[in-house]
Amino acid sequence: MSFTLTCPVCGKRNAYEFRFGGEDKGPRPEESGMTAASWCDYVHMNNCVAGVQKEWWCHKDGCGSWFTTSRDTRTNLETGTPQDTITSEVK
Amino acid sequence: MDRLNNLPTLQIRPDAAISLMFEGKYYRGWEGDTVASLLYRNGIRVFGRSLKYHRPRGLYSLDGECSNTTLQIDGVPNVRAENTLARDGMSVKAQNVCGMLEFDMMGFMDKLSWAMPAGFYYEAFHKPARIWPKAIGIIRKAAGLGVLAPDFVMPGKYDEIFPNTDVCVLGGGPAGLFAALAAADAGMSVILLESRPALGGSFAYRAARYTGIPLYARAAELSAEVECNPLIRVFKHTSVLGTYHNGSVTAMQRGGKEDAFDERYIEIRAGSIVAATGCTERPLLFDNNERPGVMQAACAQRLARTWGVLPGKEAVFSIGHDYGIEVALDLADLGMKILCVADVREDGQDPELLAGLTERKIPFFRGWVASETKGWNSVSKVTLSTTGGFRHRQFDCDTLVASAGLTPVWGPLALGQAKMTYDLHTGFFLPKHLPDNMHPAGSILGILDPGSIEASGTLAGLRAAADCGADVSSAIESAKEKAASLPGPARGSKFVMAPVKGAKTFICFDEDTTVKNVSQALARGFDMPELIKRFTSAGTGPGQGGIPGHNLPLYVGITRDCPAEVKPTSIRAPLVPASIAAFAGSNHDMSKHTPLHEPQAATTGAVMERVGVWVRARRFSGDKLSRAEIENVRNNVGMLDASTLGKFRIHGPDALKVLQRVYVSDMSKVVQGRMRYTAMCNEDGCVIDDGVVTKIAENDYYLTASTVRAGVTAEWMRYHTRYDGWKYHIVNLTDAYGVINLAGPNARKVLEKIADTDVSNEAFPFSCYREFTIQGIPTRSMRLGFVGELSYEFHVPSSYTQALWKIIEEAGAEFGIRNFGLEAQSTLRLEKGHIILGSESEQRTTLHDVGLSFLWDRNKAEWKTVGAVALEQTEKQKGRLKLVGFKMEDKTTVPKDGSLVVDSRIRGYVCTARHGYGAGEPVGMALVEDELATHGSNFAIFEDNCEGRLLQARVVPMPFYDVEGSRMKM
Repeated sequence: MSFTLTCPVCGKRNAYEFRFGGEDKGPRPEESGMTAASWCDYVHMNNCVAGVQKEWWCHKDGCGSWFTTSRDTRTNLETGTPQDTITSEVK
Repeated sequence: MDRLNNLPTLQIRPDAAISLMFEGKYYRGWEGDTVASLLYRNGIRVFGRSLKYHRPRGLYSLDGECSNTTLQIDGVPNVRAENTLARDGMSVKAQNVCGMLEFDMMGFMDKLSWAMPAGFYYEAFHKPARIWPKAIGIIRKAAGLGVLAPDFVMPGKYDEIFPNTDVCVLGGGPAGLFAALAAADAGMSVILLESRPALGGSFAYRAARYTGIPLYARAAELSAEVECNPLIRVFKHTSVLGTYHNGSVTAMQRGGKEDAFDERYIEIRAGSIVAATGCTERPLLFDNNERPGVMQAACAQRLARTWGVLPGKEAVFSIGHDYGIEVALDLADLGMKILCVADVREDGQDPELLAGLTERKIPFFRGWVASETKGWNSVSKVTLSTTGGFRHRQFDCDTLVASAGLTPVWGPLALGQAKMTYDLHTGFFLPKHLPDNMHPAGSILGILDPGSIEASGTLAGLRAAADCGADVSSAIESAKEKAASLPGPARGSKFVMAPVKGAKTFICFDEDTTVKNVSQALARGFDMPELIKRFTSAGTGPGQGGIPGHNLPLYVGITRDCPAEVKPTSIRAPLVPASIAAFAGSNHDMSKHTPLHEPQAATTGAVMERVGVWVRARRFSGDKLSRAEIENVRNNVGMLDASTLGKFRIHGPDALKVLQRVYVSDMSKVVQGRMRYTAMCNEDGCVIDDGVVTKIAENDYYLTASTVRAGVTAEWMRYHTRYDGWKYHIVNLTDAYGVINLAGPNARKVLEKIADTDVSNEAFPFSCYREFTIQGIPTRSMRLGFVGELSYEFHVPSSYTQALWKIIEEAGAEFGIRNFGLEAQSTLRLEKGHIILGSESEQRTTLHDVGLSFLWDRNKAEWKTVGAVALEQTEKQKGRLKLVGFKMEDKTTVPKDGSLVVDSRIRGYVCTARHGYGAGEPVGMALVEDELATHGSNFAIFEDNCEGRLLQARVVPMPFYDVEGSRMKM
């Protein structure tokens, strides 16, 4: 992965240090009434935009925090600043 | 010759003699010699034979620009001899030789060139069609230069590093050195890459004077300043492979004697890049322009100045730039006889250089050019002609220094998507629009005056520093002014080809493509360099197109009279030939050892094996089935190292909520003093881990995970709670604790002797968790039943684990306690029907499929447990593979793990099968389609290489041993 990502704790690092956590799909949905098809859509279907998307990354070879960032998938450049994970582990 | 031995520019060490073998003979040289210079020093002139015509070839560029001097070194083919430092004991062979280097039996091909016009192999050899397979076989054998043995293993050590920097400077010549110093002075971190073993670039071997001292002295000063600057990291003998988006640069470094690698891949992330890669020389086009003895001007000068070898006895010069004259003067002063200097230019020469020629009585011919060389294996005669072709003269000599001028090395810029256009003044193709954060400097801009080169380096370095945020705007203004006050780009020669027909004028040495071939391609309508390249194969060889370089588009331009439209062919990475081994990266093995590695490895008969990142004990005897170890655990007592187990503490006010989210069981039922076995699934309901959890204190839990999941469990938990804002900590204790498993009916008898507490069955029942000390060692202990016997796991701090191991060994000695390894453990748990994830499951296997539905609590929907939705939806799904136990009809055969279950099609596969000593016959677990998954069903097993003889099995209930489970609970 030959681009960089900015970790909210550690700063700008090579993308190799991170694990991709998927597009940001929001908190876990209401589960009652889900069919197999709708659940499968939620888990596996993605927007795959050619443009800026908000997504989750884990700094696995660094501090281990999960955070969101907005990345332009055409250039692999981040737009804006990353947002720390909303579940703030007591640091 | 004494003049050559003491030159201050020499890179060889006269006190360090080395020798290598070439074509069966030994040749001597010195450290600092390249393989090429060492062989040349010893009189070797023919280094190999060309691809198609088997023409003799030798030194030309001295920078590996063509495959003339690619040799096989220590078994590795296609090594560029001009770029490889010679090492004592090297074994070197020539390539593509049929017979002897000096007399190649395929040399007659040269006389048949008329029969092989451009692209002839597209049209010949297929009428009649049946001769094509034979012809292609012959052509394939003849094609290529080096030979690779089928069982060849690449020798050497390889490594990789990924440094970051503010400014990356490509090129360690004067411009690059000044750029690095300017950026460092502005406070930037700098990485500088230089492809030669020493810094200094084009200054390093020139004696012309600048600021009162020779250029080589200036180079030495600058190099020293750069190498001791703490902000500049210098990589020598490092070639740029490519430049990529957003400041990414890849490079390959050759290791020296003291380095721990032979080649190292370097991937740099830079804020800004300075491209100061300098110039190569543009080959002069004339008949037999590639005969050994014909060489470029810098090649001739470097042979003398860098390696102390005169290129030959008598030389003719045919050049198109002032540097050519400079070299003639220098070599004359070093003792070579210069017969004459022919310059394609009518005027414009530096008057001081012309005065130098007069002083040394060297005849000078304006408007003359070499048109032909003659000789057997090397030059013996040179014909000069006027550029118009009307008059000729011939000279007897052994060396022809030929060069049309300079060509900028703009590979890195081109890869960075710069568009190139032809500049009439310099005669260069120059970038029109530069990529962001990439700044050219030095002679690639066409500037040749030393002061201008240095000033352009400073300016580029400052601009790069500004890109990275340095406040240098006023410094940039003064640098611009200074650069503007110095001489600008020099007028370059437009000369393309001598007045010859071109049948023996080679435009590409690697592929033996002549100017006549190019004309043939043009005549067929292939009118652009990209098309001509592919039709004639010019520029497709190991030289990466450096020799055809500018000559190909220039020739096409003047032939078609459209110079403005024609461009050089696209440059692609890698910019220099690079071995795949270096891209593969580090080839040294790294593994993790548990605290018990040494005592186990020291045990007689121990077989240690890689299991993922760990080295673990598979068994402790030559018996691959570990029968003795198994029976010892069933009947006596054994000890196993389970330290690789994942171990975690999770605590905080919301710790229980996290457990409810990731585990399928109702974790509120986890109580102090008891272990609870549970599992984790992914969103598809597929089981990804199992383990045990206990409560240590209020809001404080201790849990285990599989060895392979230990690295990702914390990440998984944090991921699946990332929106909730819960307060908790996870502590990864995997490496902090070692684990010893003590198992067998005599296990308690051993433990009683050493534990500082009551360990009776009443005090410490099955499935419970206790904390106590063992001879003072703080121990977390749990009673579990993985192997199906009375069994204790002891989790102790890593630094105490070896001590505990010894204590248990000594206490167990009277019972004959023995180690057991992973093989024994696998059979023991198999007999109990206990699964190992990854063996009895694969990616698609759900909790229901492996028979662990009972772990799932369906009344905890408020926790939105990961996998719960899918578990509900797949509970009754048909057609899934289900885990079953089976026994064999023939009790003497054990099917191999992974064998397929078949009838008219594949119905599943055998997960694990072993001879069950407890059951007294073979037992196994298999994943089979649900239709077959009922007790009593028969199925057939197809083993690899069984040649149709299927094994018969039937589904039976599990466990295969101790059905009541009483032995674990005793």
